[in-house]
Amino acid sequence: MSELDLRLSTATAQDTGSYRLLELPPELCQIIESASEKTASLFIKGHPTEDAVLCTLEKTYAVRSVVLSNTVLVVTPSRSDPGGTVHIRDQLHEILELVPVVPKLHKLSILLRDMEYDEGDEDRQATMPKYSYEQARSEIQASEAEFARGLKERRILVLEGQLRPIAPAHLSTILELLLNYLISLSLSHQAAPIEELVSLSKQVMSWFGDVKEGLWKMDVDAVIRELGVGILRHHRHNPISENEFLKKWKNVVGDTFECSVKLSLLSGDYLRNLSSIGEEATLTYFPSSALPVDPAARFVELFLTRQRWKHEEIQHFLLDIAVNSKERDKLLLKHARALTDTEGVWYTARVSYNN
Amino acid sequence: MPVIDVSVSLSNVFNPKLPSCVAKLGHDELILIELQGTLDIECDEDTTRDGQFIGKLNLNDASKPTLTIGHHLLEGKVVTLPKPLGVMHRKESSKRHGYPSDGDGSRSVENTWNPGVSWGIVAVVKKKIVFSKRPMPILNLDGRSRV
Repeated sequence: MSELDLRLSTATAQDTGSYRLLELPPELCQIIESASEKTASLFIKGHPTEDAVLCTLEKTYAVRSVVLSNTVLVVTPSRSDPGGTVHIRDQLHEILELVPVVPKLHKLSILLRDMEYDEGDEDRQATMPKYSYEQARSEIQASEAEFARGLKERRILVLEGQLRPIAPAHLSTILELLLNYLISLSLSHQAAPIEELVSLSKQVMSWFGDVKEGLWKMDVDAVIRELGVGILRHHRHNPISENEFLKKWKNVVGDTFECSVKLSLLSGDYLRNLSSIGEEATLTYFPSSALPVDPAARFVELFLTRQRWKHEEIQHFLLDIAVNSKERDKLLLKHARALTDTEGVWYTARVSYNN
Repeated sequence: MPVIDVSVSLSNVFNPKLPSCVAKLGHDELILIELQGTLDIECDEDTTRDGQFIGKLNLNDASKPTLTIGHHLLEGKVVTLPKPLGVMHRKESSKRHGYPSDGDGSRSVENTWNPGVSWGIVAVVKKKIVFSKRPMPILNLDGRSRV
């Protein structure tokens, strides 16, 4: 008992290379330790050409291999002589490190190009490329929860198992209709109770609120925001004056919801330009989802658009590339220079891009 | 379908438990031993390696574990890992041949993937035994029995 015999495994050929060490962040360790059989579902996802990620139900971690100069022996007790012998099952020279990352949902919009759901494209259906929900779920490097949220945020419909992003104009129309229904409280008597239409409006409704027991609790802000974006979308290059925009927006939304209209709903999607002569402010459409995913490239684009940014403005354009506000501030520290004056904190580029 | 399912089964993977003197390491089924350099094992063919004797591990004094390999004595210490390590083990549904037998660790998880293989986390380890010092030569092998 005092000493243990250290021996190689009895089946070295089979055991060698069959072990990996995974460095566990505290929250993941907790999931694993509290997991009874089968409840913990972890997946490692990625094409051979991508960096692998590990997904829990909620989160995504990048998997990075760290090479060790030392050897780590994995040692387990012997079956035949448990009291006196232990076996070396494997000799390892690397551990896998896990770092929380933003789910790689950006790929979706590229994969789903040309598959938009729009009015009157039934005849196009046969020729349209197809990408199914199941396929996407296994290929997109994101956890289950993040994937579901991603579909919702990107307004992607699941029709007959296929993913179909909805055309923005079409979505605006549907929403306007929904609002009208709500206000008038009278049901549509249009002769269009097709299965597809039902499932479509159900999905749209679930994006903008909770559907429970046949009742829809509308997320007012989300609906109004989407309608706002619908109007603003036409002003990517030609600015619209703020007052005019708000008037249009309120008009679309209708009397009941007029008071919920506020510009902050659209943060991350617009730029507000104040001209120096004291004219009224103008707005342009500037969606953060259209900006590069790579942080460096995004900052280049942001600073090319504007030379300096207020903190409260720029933060909305960094939300989707940082895991949390700490990561966001790290990005700001790395890629931008902070200046403080009487108006608050401004950020400028670390290098000048345009001269 | 580039998805690897990682299951979790933390108990009773390795049938017998480790002897009680190892239990202080916080895990009763699996321990990690870190060595400087590599174990160099002399042999002609893979099959002769199976079950080969390497050395003696003495864990009586938890603060001073020792490992005797041939005429060398290694002194080590028990270290708490900064982050717990999950030990993943590959399970093969059908036994396959043709794996290179030297585990050089260069094959990463994604390219050993194939349909007959699944990975499971078999243990969460929080401590390891590190032998980081130079080995000391021992002249009298019999001295070992007196310890």
